Amino acid sequence: MTVRDIIKRFTFIEIFQGMALTLRKMFSRAVTIQYPKERRPIAPGFRGQHALAKNPDGKAKCVSCGLCATICPSQCIYVRRKEDGQENYEVDVLRCIFCGFCVEACPYGAIVLTENYEYSGYTKEEIYLTRSKLLANWDKHMAGKKGEEYFRKFWRPMSGDFGTPPAQSGFKGKKE
Amino acid sequence: MEPVEKIFDTRELNVNMGPQHPATHGVLRLVLDIDGETIVKVTPYVGYLHRGIEKLGESMSYFQALPLTDRMDYVSAMSNNIGYCVAVEKLYGIEVPERAKFIRTIAGEMSRIANHLLWLATHALDIGAMTVFLYCFREREWILDLYEMICGARLTVTYPRVGGVRNDVQQEFLESLWKFTDEFPSRILEYETLIDQNRIWLLRTKGIGVISAEEAVNWGMTGPTLRGSGVPYDIRKFMPYDAYDKVDFEVPIGTVGDTYDRYRCRMLEMRQSNNIIRQCIEKLPAGPVMADAPKFTMQPKDKMMPITHPTKQHAFFIKEKACKGCGMCLRACPAKAIFGEKKKPHAIKQDMCLGCATCYVTCKFKALVIVPAGKGLSDEKLAELAEAPVPEEITKASEYLVRQFEFVKKGPKVPEGEIYVATEVPKGELGFYFVSDGSAKPYRMRVRAPSFVHAGCLPRLCAGHLVADVIANIGTIDIVLGECDR
Ligand code: SF4
Ligand code: SF4
Ligand code: SF4
Ligand code: SF4
Repeated sequence: MTVRDIIKRFTFIEIFQGMALTLRKMFSRAVTIQYPKERRPIAPGFRGQHALAKNPDGKAKCVSCGLCATICPSQCIYVRRKEDGQENYEVDVLRCIFCGFCVEACPYGAIVLTENYEYSGYTKEEIYLTRSKLLANWDKHMAGKKGEEYFRKFWRPMSGDFGTPPAQSGFKGKKE
Repeated sequence: MEPVEKIFDTRELNVNMGPQHPATHGVLRLVLDIDGETIVKVTPYVGYLHRGIEKLGESMSYFQALPLTDRMDYVSAMSNNIGYCVAVEKLYGIEVPERAKFIRTIAGEMSRIANHLLWLATHALDIGAMTVFLYCFREREWILDLYEMICGARLTVTYPRVGGVRNDVQQEFLESLWKFTDEFPSRILEYETLIDQNRIWLLRTKGIGVISAEEAVNWGMTGPTLRGSGVPYDIRKFMPYDAYDKVDFEVPIGTVGDTYDRYRCRMLEMRQSNNIIRQCIEKLPAGPVMADAPKFTMQPKDKMMPITHPTKQHAFFIKEKACKGCGMCLRACPAKAIFGEKKKPHAIKQDMCLGCATCYVTCKFKALVIVPAGKGLSDEKLAELAEAPVPEEITKASEYLVRQFEFVKKGPKVPEGEIYVATEVPKGELGFYFVSDGSAKPYRMRVRAPSFVHAGCLPRLCAGHLVADVIANIGTIDIVLGECDR
């Protein structure tokens, strides 16, 4: 054991260094947020609760082709025609894993994942998404510009992904 | 007086640790045979988190099974995804574009940092250092936010795709990530100030769970757990995948092979990862992010637009002469809008048709045609229009549409054979073994999970130590039970 080690041992230097660090941190800004009062910004394209997209004329874009229901890894989308001839589209959100495959599979751009992650309920029915709830979700979370933006950015793949689009992101040099 | 040994009889005690013990990093049950405080034998029992992922994979197409891998090692879901995609690409025999490779490397290294941060946090917490836990989570949160920026999810990302990545990275993301890499080394220093030389930390980690290089190899250890014993084995170096052969990095190794060495290895690895990310951002080439392999990927959405755009009012019509009456379209139509008898020409009831194109995609005899802007017209008018040549725009779009339907409904067929592809995930070697019988689903999918192998090493690592060291040993092998049990 060198002299240095002995000094280290008896002065508790490393302990004090650690404590100095935590003391310093006491005066820096807190990184925690007080959730229901404060909310963190959500990145666009967040994969949250589903919505069925509407045309500008207010009709559902979905044509019940069933591709989303086929690709869904958790098999939680039900697309079927009811006896009375009504189109039916249901998502069992409790089983959904928010992979976003349904959005990718749909050739019609009819289903989206909204930024809504706050939904809870006491019964299964409250969370189960029926066609009317899904369409209402569109008005609530995606209406107007936001929906257009979503399809432009997050409805993938586009032919740009198979080629080189003009304004591609890249390293622009170190910022001093 | 009689000697104490004669009055008291000592015997080995058999105690359960887990499955709910908070320090077991999941639901791991250990049965400890202890003699006083000393461990005589440890028997791990795994399987509490078994969800049958390997079996589930056999009932899904290769594309669909991707999110399952998120749920194996949920701490570093991105690496698992990448490992899966690399394996399936090898099986398909497709080449991923350069840009996608770099993006994946970036994402994979972010995942390594996120994983090691969580490992350090919980390992330190188990040993008794609470502060490090909070500090690590501060940075991990940052990485998760960055994940959210690229793919919209924080934990179960499902970002890479077979053939590339889901979407290109945004300029904004690259800048935030660059800022992170600027900041991160100083944060590592902070953790080290707290524990690296701390006497309690040293006492709890030095000389605990020592395993020699040879033994470590024999026990099947991989990743930093192996490298702590001084074996410089890293798949990123030995069998480079993605862009690892284009970046410069070192593989840190330990000397003694104890818990402290493994800790040092991981700390150095985080620095290396940080470096790799920076290099990748600097070198990120322009180009496509999805492989040009139309059979194996989803189709570009804009190419299908001439048919699928909501303002298009196309009608679908069955040409009476060409229809063989096979009934395929009738069975496929979700709206039940097609009527007809077997072997006789079928017809679509236009007012019931939803315009989904399923029948068009299904018909093998080219009897179904798209009549542009024909919605709402009478059958006679449609029959007349159906004879006119179809605009080229529609023909082209329909090719993509057919392929999209085929990709989703059937999935691409894979040549017969078997393949094993390993990648270096933060925990060690993650291998995927596929047996293909020529269909679109794997005949057998087997996952070589590093956590499983490492959990098996616990008896060797713990023997002879004290009960408290079991916790240190569980921490040092960095296991996640979701991956171990699958
Ligand atoms: S997000 Fe995934 S799991 Fe959820 S409904 Fe869509 S495809 Fe199914
Ligand atoms: S949401 Fe899209 S994929 Fe799903 S049934 Fe509707 S149109 Fe088809
Ligand atoms: S387009 Fe769709 S709804 Fe219309 S007839 Fe064909 S399969 Fe049925
Ligand atoms: S699939 Fe084609 S050939 Fe067969 S019944 Fe339908 S339109 Fe006629």
